[in-house]
Amino acid sequence: MDSSSNKVPVTILTGFLGSGKTTLLNRILSEQHGKRIAVIENEFGEVGIDQALVINAEEEIFEMANGCICCTVRGDLIRVLGNLMKRRDKFDYVVVETTGLADPGPVAQTFFMDDEISSEFSLDGIITLVDTFHINQQLGRSNESTEQIAFADVIVLNKTDLVKDSELDNLEARLREMNKMAKFIRSEMANVPINSVLDKSAFNLDQALIRRPTFLEPEYPFEWTGIYSTKPGKYKIIMSEGPDPSMSLVIELDQNTDDVSLRNGAEHCVRLYAEDAEIIKPSEIIPKGKHVNLNLESLGQKEFYVEIEKDTKIGLFAQHTAEEFNMKLIEVNNNDEVPVEVERTWVAQHEHDDEVGSFSIEKDGDLDEQKLQAWISKLLREKGVDIFRMKGFLSIAGESNRFVFQGVHMIFSGKPDRPWGSLPRRNQLVFIGRNLDEKEMRKGFEDCLV
Amino acid sequence: MSIMETQPQKILRSGWNTYVNDYAISGGWNYNGEALIICDAAGGIYVFDGKSGEVIWTQRQVHEDGILSAAIHPLTNRFATGGQDGKIIIWNTHQKNKEKVIDLGGGWIENLSWSQDGEMLAISCSKTVYVYTKEGDEIWQSNNHNSTVSNLGWSINKELATTCYGRVCFFDGMSGKVKQKLEWKGSLVSMVLSPNSDIVVCGSQDNTIHFWRRSTEQDSMMSGYPLKPSALSFDETGSYLATGGSEEVTVWSFKGNGPEGTSPLSLKLHKKPITTLAFAHRGMNLASGSRDGAVVLWDLKSENEESGLSETSVSDSVSKLYWRPDDKALAGLDRQGGVTVWHV
Repeated sequence: MDSSSNKVPVTILTGFLGSGKTTLLNRILSEQHGKRIAVIENEFGEVGIDQALVINAEEEIFEMANGCICCTVRGDLIRVLGNLMKRRDKFDYVVVETTGLADPGPVAQTFFMDDEISSEFSLDGIITLVDTFHINQQLGRSNESTEQIAFADVIVLNKTDLVKDSELDNLEARLREMNKMAKFIRSEMANVPINSVLDKSAFNLDQALIRRPTFLEPEYPFEWTGIYSTKPGKYKIIMSEGPDPSMSLVIELDQNTDDVSLRNGAEHCVRLYAEDAEIIKPSEIIPKGKHVNLNLESLGQKEFYVEIEKDTKIGLFAQHTAEEFNMKLIEVNNNDEVPVEVERTWVAQHEHDDEVGSFSIEKDGDLDEQKLQAWISKLLREKGVDIFRMKGFLSIAGESNRFVFQGVHMIFSGKPDRPWGSLPRRNQLVFIGRNLDEKEMRKGFEDCLV
Repeated sequence: MSIMETQPQKILRSGWNTYVNDYAISGGWNYNGEALIICDAAGGIYVFDGKSGEVIWTQRQVHEDGILSAAIHPLTNRFATGGQDGKIIIWNTHQKNKEKVIDLGGGWIENLSWSQDGEMLAISCSKTVYVYTKEGDEIWQSNNHNSTVSNLGWSINKELATTCYGRVCFFDGMSGKVKQKLEWKGSLVSMVLSPNSDIVVCGSQDNTIHFWRRSTEQDSMMSGYPLKPSALSFDETGSYLATGGSEEVTVWSFKGNGPEGTSPLSLKLHKKPITTLAFAHRGMNLASGSRDGAVVLWDLKSENEESGLSETSVSDSVSKLYWRPDDKALAGLDRQGGVTVWHV
């Protein structure tokens, strides 16, 4: 009997003690999502939802005699899930809440290395909660917190009310350098939308690629966003002299200030920035929802106009920070400055001193299958211990279908995906690991190109 | 349910079949074969008349959140069930009432086993094992094992064998004193003792079989399995060990200097991985079940690969196969709650 089509999805919730895992779990359980969720907890939390099936199990890490780290599995999960799957009627989703000190590797590997588990359950994603107030100390001190960041598909920056916005921007930039695959969400009391943490299909690559055509979070072409409340009327953006003779800008209408809206707006603007910019001279009106390039060549203060038709919030997604040009938004009829309600710096300054990092390789062209196989098997044999996660899609010479793959340490799984059709044939690989030699890996990959 | 007979001998003739309310996880024939006891994952007990399949008595939800384990007494009309509620209940086959409830105060009761003389009941709950009298009074309990106890078994000398991560441990059944520890760095998912109790065999999470000869503590490993060998069965003489761990039944011979350095017999009829194996109490008949619900009866007398006698099937993955004490009937339990009895 083939049950592959109805495997039960499993979400892993990691994060240090006090990061808000239990709060998020309670939020997931109390939401009206129509799912019957079973919870496996490794530490006594305060899950207080009656209708959920909550099982407490002590973490049991089973290493194998062969010493291979990718064979290390979590015995407690095999046991509990093995019993749970005998009663499929009781639940249709599983959330595993690990201890703060858990190594996410064996947890993830359990879903690939144990045949009975992998035939009944599919790993949906790894969610890591970060206590933004304490994480900087933790990252220096423990491998576990670093690995929880490195393995994550979604990183929730929690307790943002305790940390200054500029510090959050710096923290996010630091963590993004460690894990370029993860989606970031900010929250105060783990109040994140449920659909941002469940049903992610993060290990089911063809599904993930249908939703978004890339495994990478965008590199933002703008440094700064400011959100302002506006009324119908005429506004002007005033700018002093700054470091550049021009600045790119997109004005988004109806831009809400919450984190999810801000990120959605940013993603939309990444696409707009890819289009050619319209050059706007001082005193001209800036069109909204379009990529423009403000001409700043003339000396002294410059003004640009914006016409607003309704009560709304507007987001200025600017190539440079407001500070660099002393940029201000002024209401024309009363000459009042409109205060910035929320601002976000996307490309923050930070030091690259973490051992754990991530990088991507993006290349057009076809790959020689034999060379590729030889390269990957050598890479995994020699560096598998240091590679935490990898994902990618490949264009293999002579194959009409795209090839997708993902891996955890030495566990590599790949399969042909949909046909390339008229799409340009290209390759994208993302690696997250410890002390990875990016230059050597890039060269190794490029040597596989036809 | 369709019963198909592929062999002209019709060794397995259909008897009766029925369904219980959930995944049929455990049970067995009572000591004289008159009743078949089945437990489902939802916590239901069903006692069937062995001949007719009529329900003698049934009770639902005897353990809150479900039953995990059951053990049928070898000599009397008793059986025990353990559940997710941390309780063990001792029942009488003839009656619906509980003879005794043992409450360990939480934790899953994953393994239960009666000693061969029926005087003692071993229980595992998390990392601890407990031994009780057949009446349900505690005799002793162990210290914590390295990990959750994965299997229990009794030797002919009233020793209790336990497995956990990295170790097989033999306790004196009466006193609880540790008599022997056999170590191996691996998660031992299954265990069987040879009939004379000298050989203990374990299937390991790393897709190998590890076994020890207790008298010499000499150990050996058999590898090459694609999956975990979670099904194991010795024949009555201890000459043959049948193992799962793939779509084939692999049979090792312990005759002479074997099985070290010998090739096993591979029995190939199943199309999906083996889930359960049971040698008959006497003779060389072996029953095997697989994930697709196929059940095969093999005769190993001929020691060749053409020993498949009869092939049939149940509705879904076979969870257990139990020979009636007289070996004239075989019961099969499956994942859909199906209970099927064949005459042999």
